[in-house]
Amino acid sequence: MAATTAPAGRSSGVGGLPGRRAGPALLFAGLTFYLLLPMLAVFLYSVATVWRSQLLPDGYTLEHWISGLGDERLVFALLRSLGLATAVTVLDIVVVVPAIYWARVRNPRIRTFTELSAVIPFALPFVVIAFGIDRLAGDFVPWLQSTPWILWLGHSAIAFPFLYWAVDGAMAAAGIERLSEAAETCGARPRQIIREVVIPNITPGLVAGGILVWATSFGDFALAQILTGPNFETVPIWSADALLQTTGKGNELAVITFVTFIILFALSAAIVYWNRGHTLRLLPGAGAMERTEG
Amino acid sequence: MSGISLQGVSKRFGQVRALDDVSLEVAPGELVSLLGPSGCGKTTLLRCVAGLERPDAGVVQIAGRDLTHVPTRERPIGMVFQAYALFPNMTVRQNIAFPLEVRRQPGEQVRSRVDELLELVHLADQADRYPNQISGGQQQRAALGRALAPHPDVLLLDEPLSALDALVRTRLRDEIRRIQQAVKTTAIYVTHDQSEAMAIADRVVVMNHGRVEQIGDPPQLYETPTTPFSAAFVGSRNALRLPVREGRLRLGEAFDVAAPAGAGATAVVFFRPEDVELTTDGSGHPATVDVRIFLGSVTRLHLVVAVDGETARIHADLPSRRAMALGPGSAVAIRVDPAHMSAFGSES
Repeated sequence: MAATTAPAGRSSGVGGLPGRRAGPALLFAGLTFYLLLPMLAVFLYSVATVWRSQLLPDGYTLEHWISGLGDERLVFALLRSLGLATAVTVLDIVVVVPAIYWARVRNPRIRTFTELSAVIPFALPFVVIAFGIDRLAGDFVPWLQSTPWILWLGHSAIAFPFLYWAVDGAMAAAGIERLSEAAETCGARPRQIIREVVIPNITPGLVAGGILVWATSFGDFALAQILTGPNFETVPIWSADALLQTTGKGNELAVITFVTFIILFALSAAIVYWNRGHTLRLLPGAGAMERTEG
Repeated sequence: MSGISLQGVSKRFGQVRALDDVSLEVAPGELVSLLGPSGCGKTTLLRCVAGLERPDAGVVQIAGRDLTHVPTRERPIGMVFQAYALFPNMTVRQNIAFPLEVRRQPGEQVRSRVDELLELVHLADQADRYPNQISGGQQQRAALGRALAPHPDVLLLDEPLSALDALVRTRLRDEIRRIQQAVKTTAIYVTHDQSEAMAIADRVVVMNHGRVEQIGDPPQLYETPTTPFSAAFVGSRNALRLPVREGRLRLGEAFDVAAPAGAGATAVVFFRPEDVELTTDGSGHPATVDVRIFLGSVTRLHLVVAVDGETARIHADLPSRRAMALGPGSAVAIRVDPAHMSAFGSES
């Protein structure tokens, strides 16, 4: 009986599948279109000669790309932003990951302090934080003022909560306390535990938090404007200046926005590709359990 | 092989006294089980041996060496955790190799030792799988292999079977015992399951409220409990509070035993369901069958008896073929051999 009923059930299921699949596929396509639409508009604007009242530009040109990417000032601003965002991400990872590990595994009492400090950047406007940092630097380390170093430290301070919460969640999901104790009983030293057990098991959170930190630093205008201004021109500073130009650098701004998007998208895609299958192994309960034996 | 010596170990968590002056000697090659209910301190004691908790007082020695203040990583131990704690980013082989690699042992030596352990725990064909690709039982065997990899003096097992289903538990329990005897390692095995403790251990330590209640080999613990807690916790026992009269404890014609020394007005007698005899010669204390529970070869009867004008319930285990003749409402008579009874004063 089972042999005859099962195929019948499957056959009716197959008949219903196209309908059942169409809904999610349409939803996914709609969502993708909605999310990509702004970038598509930016791209079209970057290659538009003039774009007035029609749905599409009046004409197309690569002139803005050539002039934008040939503009030394813009290229240097882009390189500064890329370097700064990367340095901020590295600093946050180096400081935040061991701190969270310490707070979770060794000294849970400091968690109140670390969690509180990870909320402050969300509670205060960046402008207020920027003025606070500038004032503090003026009082104690005036030689740091208006240097890239203060921007590096400032960005690290405002962006670290993104990494903190992502990594803290990843550590909780991986049961890092338990794994850490197991590694200790295996004879591992703290550095070995962090390198060989903690980091590999929090990769998804580390990557997600790292991208957020990178993007926060790359896109920040408030701190960059107040702490360094034109002394260390980043892409957002250049963009603000471009918007103020009467000569109209809107199309070149679109070029640089699109380039930034492509960089971030490529980075995320590369990480997703590199992590394929990895996330499933690390998330408890995820992945199919092949129970070959009891 | 190395023994373990714990002397006067105490540990507090805030206001809670988790361990209260615990002393224990484990002989080389012996497997001792720490048995007790949740919160009795058995896992805390194990973690003190592992160095994962630092005792407030007392001494932890392994092979005669004082390790009380030695960090976990420097102790000659291997540990198996309740929730496996395998590293999800490593395959079974890599998990087992981990303790050897952190000790920077030569690659060929690591490979050969890992192969040996994979054979020992029967996981050679799963060696390249990740923990989430194998079953719970296989994960625990991989954890056992990892714990044994560096040839530890002491193997510590923290409720290793409690996350597994009944069939796998029994099989893996026997396998753990086989492996422990094969590698001749001293072991401490924490469990709250008395049948598991009895089946696997050379000696069982019964713990309650952070203290050791009784230490003995399984038959000794089963037959002659020395405290009311041991009597109630180990095995299934009937407990009857009876008045002490002329230094005796009596239940009609069912039994008549001497009251324990120093007993007050009442005392508690413990006896096992299998020691309750249903008489057919007219002697014994009258009882009525209330419930009959079929357990396979044995059937458990819940009997109601009169004790000093009040009713009490007693469990009796009978061969099922004999018990089938009885049902709820059947009138029977019971007797218990005093040799199989334990009595404790109310204040104990």
